[in-house]
Amino acid sequence: MNVSSPLAIDDTLPPELRDLLNSPDGPAFEQALDVMVRQREQRLFRALGQLARDLHDAVRRLGGELTQEGVPGIVADARQHLQDALEMSAQAAHRSLDFAERMRPQAESLTRNAGQVLEWTNGNDAAAVLAREAVAFASSCRDGLADMVLAQSWQDLTGQRIKKVASFIGTVESSLLELVRLTGALAGSEAPASAVKVSSQEDADRLLSEFGF
Amino acid sequence: MWREALDKNMKILVVDDFSTMRRIVRNLLVELGFTNTLIQEADDGENAMTMLRSQPFDLVVTDWNMPNMTGIDLLRAIRAEAALKGLPVLMVTAENNRDQIIAAAQAGVNGYIVKPFTAVTLKEKLTKIFERIAASGVSA
Repeated sequence: MNVSSPLAIDDTLPPELRDLLNSPDGPAFEQALDVMVRQREQRLFRALGQLARDLHDAVRRLGGELTQEGVPGIVADARQHLQDALEMSAQAAHRSLDFAERMRPQAESLTRNAGQVLEWTNGNDAAAVLAREAVAFASSCRDGLADMVLAQSWQDLTGQRIKKVASFIGTVESSLLELVRLTGALAGSEAPASAVKVSSQEDADRLLSEFGF
Repeated sequence: MWREALDKNMKILVVDDFSTMRRIVRNLLVELGFTNTLIQEADDGENAMTMLRSQPFDLVVTDWNMPNMTGIDLLRAIRAEAALKGLPVLMVTAENNRDQIIAAAQAGVNGYIVKPFTAVTLKEKLTKIFERIAASGVSA
């Protein structure tokens, strides 16, 4: 390295670095720089090692749970709950639709019968008044039933979201299993049947010890 | 126009993976006066295609999000098949993003309804479809 080249040496640099940059001794400068870089590398390695150790522990715990119980019960439960909610909401919506389909012909029949009463009467007696009221009631019933039928589309809209969440949980579940499968040996526990052994516990420990752990 | 459409013994195929939605669409069609109409149902695009190939229909009302074959794929399959390509397709879906509406338009959809919708909207879109069919001289 050519130390005589113009470098921006300002007061923000640490004093030892400033001294080195101003030093005319080329080899000494490089040696000192090497020491500094190595110190930094060691700090990085220590951090990486700690991270590897933490991950190793976490995966071992998870792997233990997964291999003891298969798919974590809580994931299977969550999916079943969503499926139940989907089915219950569909049943509830169908019941409302049953009701609407049962009532609609009744409203139509009321309209027809009231119309006949109106034909028989002179249009001013009590029967006529009641018949007109019945026609109006049947009409508002039909409108109300139509609105109620349409309102049941909440089941479709919420159901689609439930299906998306269930599918997301499925993805998380298989990713989790894949992670455990891949790191099964690293975790030190029996990997699921399809597991491919990437490394042994010894390999993992040797690797970790290379980083000083 | 509307009267003519109603008077015809139409056959409509309603495609949706949710049985509630198929029933809602069926109810609305009856409510709009399609009482002489034969309404059949399919729960995905694949089953819809099988039905469309085996018997004549006058209109398809389809959802977008379905397993196996989605509504947009069903639409494309209909347009790609010589015997079916002129069949009117009304899309009824919760998908309301611009790209999807454009994709449906490009694939040749005849109408697009965003859920939740009202009977008035359904009638409006159906009227437009029948008007266009009448104007083009193709019998529905």
